[in-house]
Amino acid sequence: MAETPRDAVIIGGNRIPFARAHGAYAKSSNQDMLTSALNGLVARYGLQGEQLGAVAGGAVLKHSKNFNLVRESALGTPLDPKTPAYDVQMACATGTEAIGSLANKIKLGQIDSAIGGGVDSISDAPIVVSDQLRGILMEATRAKTAGQRLKALAKIRPAHLAPQAPGTGEPRTGLSMGEHMAVTANKWGITREEQDELAVASHRNLAAAYESGFFNDLISPFKGLSADNNMRADSSVDKLAKLSPVFGKDLGESATMTAANSTPLTDGASAVLLGSEEWADAHDLPKLANFVDYEQGAVDFVDGAEGLLMAPTYAAARMLKRNNLTFEDFEYFEIHEAFASTVLAQMKAWESEDFCRDVLGLDKPLGSIDRSKLNVNGSSLAAGHPFAATGGRIVATLAKLLYGKPGKRGFISVCAAGGQGITAIIEGR
Amino acid sequence: MNEPIRIPLPKLSRLYQKAGLDAVRSKLASAGRLTAFPEQSVVADHPGISDDQAEQYRRLLGGEAFDKAHRLSLPSVLLHIAGFPVQMALMSRDAFPLPLMGMVHLSNEVLHSQPVGAGTPLQILARADHFAPHRRGTQADVIIEIYPAGMDIATAGPADCLYSSTSRYLGMGTYLFPKEEGSSSPREDFTPPPKTALWTLGSDAGRQYAAVSGDYNPIHLSGVTAKALGQKRAIVHGMYLAARMLEGREPESAGHRWDITFEAPVGLPGKVAFAAEQVDEKTQQFVGWDPRKGRRHFSGKLALP
Repeated sequence: MAETPRDAVIIGGNRIPFARAHGAYAKSSNQDMLTSALNGLVARYGLQGEQLGAVAGGAVLKHSKNFNLVRESALGTPLDPKTPAYDVQMACATGTEAIGSLANKIKLGQIDSAIGGGVDSISDAPIVVSDQLRGILMEATRAKTAGQRLKALAKIRPAHLAPQAPGTGEPRTGLSMGEHMAVTANKWGITREEQDELAVASHRNLAAAYESGFFNDLISPFKGLSADNNMRADSSVDKLAKLSPVFGKDLGESATMTAANSTPLTDGASAVLLGSEEWADAHDLPKLANFVDYEQGAVDFVDGAEGLLMAPTYAAARMLKRNNLTFEDFEYFEIHEAFASTVLAQMKAWESEDFCRDVLGLDKPLGSIDRSKLNVNGSSLAAGHPFAATGGRIVATLAKLLYGKPGKRGFISVCAAGGQGITAIIEGR
Repeated sequence: MNEPIRIPLPKLSRLYQKAGLDAVRSKLASAGRLTAFPEQSVVADHPGISDDQAEQYRRLLGGEAFDKAHRLSLPSVLLHIAGFPVQMALMSRDAFPLPLMGMVHLSNEVLHSQPVGAGTPLQILARADHFAPHRRGTQADVIIEIYPAGMDIATAGPADCLYSSTSRYLGMGTYLFPKEEGSSSPREDFTPPPKTALWTLGSDAGRQYAAVSGDYNPIHLSGVTAKALGQKRAIVHGMYLAARMLEGREPESAGHRWDITFEAPVGLPGKVAFAAEQVDEKTQQFVGWDPRKGRRHFSGKLALP
């Protein structure tokens, strides 16, 4: 990549433990959780009263009353209220996009400091009234006379009163993300065994990272939780082999995706502190790593030309080319485990000579990724995946891994609904 | 062809009442033999599909708004809906030899030559053709041709036709030809391809499409009304499936051809697994099936100009 005017430095991160849906955080709102994650970050880095360049983030499932979710959350912290804050939305890549674009602003000199992150709650999902009922209520609102209003309201039928929860299906295909992934996994011949192995590795790596104290300065407790409660340190391939498939069941014997090798629905929030080198030094803050570059990708998934969660494979090819890097130049790989098969399908695609030549237009395959460098401190299968909070979890984890390893690089891949995704490069300091 | 008979745009509710009566008194002249194929066509003026109806259709099927700047051309199935009452009027004429009740929609083939926007007045012509034996009765093609209002149809050429559709129907149990013995063809094996979509149809899918199309055939409305007509449960309109198959794929400038062949009906509520496959640059093929039983509901094709 062309020389940028200055580095965007990752200073640190904070998240609340991720909780399985309808559990520990059942009564917490997105704003509660994001405020808590921000408060932890502010406390850790002494940002009380500080006016930052910007706070950006978002939530995938958001109440309409939370139109200014991030600003409202930031106002609930000791940050200077003159700190601008805004919402970003790119499905599961929301957090990564927020952090990436803030890093760009820092590089350009537009701002000197920023917090990027995200939050999501399944337990407090925005339930809305049906389209029919909303139409009638709006008609009644527009009515000029009591008679007109009554006439509109008289159209309400019992069936209109059923509340509607946000679906997990892709709007244009009606297929859930898991069903989409099942088609892709089948196409790439991803086996049940390799998915279960990846899931077990995720739990073991996360548990080991907790054990070693890695997360001590990355997590602050919330509502009685001090660690991700989806984690199963004693997970084993034998145990996982007993589970029945939950996605792609119409594939019969070829169905491979279970509740254990798919990410559970989770509540949680995360935040990452970024700054210019000068700003970090002036505030006597650590400089863990540089946020070097990031790339968005999108694929044509609607009629199945490409798998829903395969966009990062394309983004990676462009990003690596622009930076004149190969996979061999990376010390760590953080590939978001939406499903175990998502990680495996992306890696198979990068290994495939045909795919890399014919689809990505590369001279040779991007190559294989050494498993000992992959998600070394666990990923979403173990930690959980509160959609918009995942980017912040990954960036903070990877930056800390690279701290003290100047010039060593980390690779990030995050897939997202709507056939989109982001890849990013981080470099240790 | 004889000069078409000009009729006022029919009301579907009246035609369904008449169909009920026809079901009671046999349409056949005597001994179930066809005396003459009807050569008569009918034509009706249509004031144009209203903005309201186009919006209702869009709310049901999805897609971008008909803003008349970037999206003006109405979907093919909406033109079929406009032509359907005329088609029904032809089929409920005494000269039409098959009873309307018990008629099964087998397939549909469409050439959508020109874009038609909401509010454009039209002439809709319906005629019947290709009566042929079928192992379960008699099949017939009912053809709809849509022309601009005011055009002299007698001198109109194929280039003047905005839209033409051939609906193949089966008059179940009405044998106008000698019954063919042992002609039942073995069912073709079907292996579902990887699905690209899943349609979840509620128990009200038939009522919703009826509200947009005006096709209140009781077989689509509820379990009770469907049972009265011999179905186990309500089934969705075949053209609703065609509409979903085509949604988002029809070109704004028209000129496309498409077809759909119906197999097992879709019971309500139900799920339809769907796969779209690119055959070549201009052609897509589609198939819909029951994700549990693996039975095929329909297959179709879309060819861009």
